[in-house]
Amino acid sequence: MKLLRNRRALIILAGLIVAANGFFPALWILFTSFKTEVELMRVPITIIPQAPTIENYIRVFVDQPILRFLFNSVVVAVLSTLLCVTCSALAAYALVRLRLPGAGIILSVLLAIAMFPLISMMVPLFQVMRDLGLLNTWWALIFPHAVLSMPVCTLVLISFFQDIPRDLENAAMIDGCTRLGALWHVVIPLTAPGVFTAGILAFVNSWDEFLLALTLSPRVASRTLPVGITLYQGEFSFPWPIISAALIVAIVPICIVIAIFQERVVSGLTSGGVKG
Amino acid sequence: MSDAIRHRLTPLERSERRLGFAMLAPAFLLLAAVVLYPIAELIRNSFHFNHLAQPWMGTPFVGFENYVKALGDDRFHEAVLHTLLYILVTVPGAVVIGLGLALLANQPFRVKWPVRLGLLLPWALPLVFAGLIFRWFFEFNQGIANAMLRGLGLEPLNWLTSPGLAFFAICLAIIWKSSSFVALVLLAGLQTIPKSFYEAAEVDGATKWQQFREITLPMLRPAIFVALIFRTITAIQTFDIPYAMTNGGPGNSTETLAMYIHKTTVDFLDLGYGSALAVLMFIVSAVITSLYLRHTRRDPGRH
Repeated sequence: MKLLRNRRALIILAGLIVAANGFFPALWILFTSFKTEVELMRVPITIIPQAPTIENYIRVFVDQPILRFLFNSVVVAVLSTLLCVTCSALAAYALVRLRLPGAGIILSVLLAIAMFPLISMMVPLFQVMRDLGLLNTWWALIFPHAVLSMPVCTLVLISFFQDIPRDLENAAMIDGCTRLGALWHVVIPLTAPGVFTAGILAFVNSWDEFLLALTLSPRVASRTLPVGITLYQGEFSFPWPIISAALIVAIVPICIVIAIFQERVVSGLTSGGVKG
Repeated sequence: MSDAIRHRLTPLERSERRLGFAMLAPAFLLLAAVVLYPIAELIRNSFHFNHLAQPWMGTPFVGFENYVKALGDDRFHEAVLHTLLYILVTVPGAVVIGLGLALLANQPFRVKWPVRLGLLLPWALPLVFAGLIFRWFFEFNQGIANAMLRGLGLEPLNWLTSPGLAFFAICLAIIWKSSSFVALVLLAGLQTIPKSFYEAAEVDGATKWQQFREITLPMLRPAIFVALIFRTITAIQTFDIPYAMTNGGPGNSTETLAMYIHKTTVDFLDLGYGSALAVLMFIVSAVITSLYLRHTRRDPGRH
């Protein structure tokens, strides 16, 4: 009996370690975000804020257009996700179902191209977007971000499409559906969890992307959240409580998304075995 | 299917094939526009002089001059060396820590969400945010690292302003950020190992360590391989975390190849030379990507 209770305690301890490892940094900046500059100076440092203040959160919204950053991030992430999932779904379906010669090689080529390092594309993309007049627009990020997640989305969708029996589509086509009609009316609804999973992964990848967002949107008003957050630091000053508050404001939306869809995200990450 | 049938396609098959290529078109058009054309431009740029701060020079063709320049550029060599060191430390580091996290997370918990979110949060956090948070941890006066040292009665350290310590701090941040993804992949691998293997080993009197060495590790090998390759592909491109923590400093002691390329092109405005460096990086990364693809190559039309 005692042995069993010890085992239980060990299991809980194991869980606590994993959870603490993941949550600790976010918790720490959450505490920091409620402290005053004065309290931060104190030695030894305090853990829980002694005199919690929301002043830092007010400064977050006053000092920089963070709602604008948030809006840019949402628009770019949503549109690039739609574009990525559409292209990946069409490609995955063609590769799984349409008996293309060399489907395996086509898939490898697609993955290989989409996995080129971003830094190599950065300069020429800057020139292309400048020539097209797309710098500082959402489009400059939407197209590259869609490519960023294409490998993971295609792999996830392939693994889901493979599990749908051909007979279902054949039945739909006998009833007068076209191929694309069968894909839209039969396959997509049946693989909705997979499509959804692919979508969340694409969303997170776009939400997190920094290098291109930094380079292709030099104007303040067109920055996304990850780049916008770096604007809170002054030339010589680093107002940590305000930066912490800004980080919390920026982290909360993505936390809600992954908390709601945690099981989907895990299954997607592991079935694709990739983060783009 | 016999060869006779295979060689002459039925009208249905032919129309399916046409539809199939049409359905691949959007993905490949996007790849052509966002990747292939820029890469072609990059290669072209790398053979030209192109310095935005010297527009009167024009953009003459210079052959391999930019590449030759790279051979003698100490800062480039250092950036390559730093990138290699980051790979050598953070890739195995993330896999070992990730394996530890996966083993801890692979327990029969009654409440699953704290563990799952504990693994997902570092993954979902933008790299720059992780960099900023760790920069705060290692801040000299108010950071938690020095607070702990003081608590132990030790002298506080200049974490981010002395080269070796800065490298260490950055590695720690990268390992924290990337080990949770590794853990998720390995956890999925752990869950495919049948319980009966361990029960049989138990009956034979194998210790926990023997079980780990003889069952867990060999069965996890494919998952570990995938995690290794993926970590390596991203580690070559290391940019965000050192950018947020030290911006390559002190001096250039924590500067990675990606950061040097970024500085050469965006700050120094030397597009020609920056492009040559980016081509070199792209070749290295292509080699490693091909290793991964050789491993995952499969025919999607079959199970």
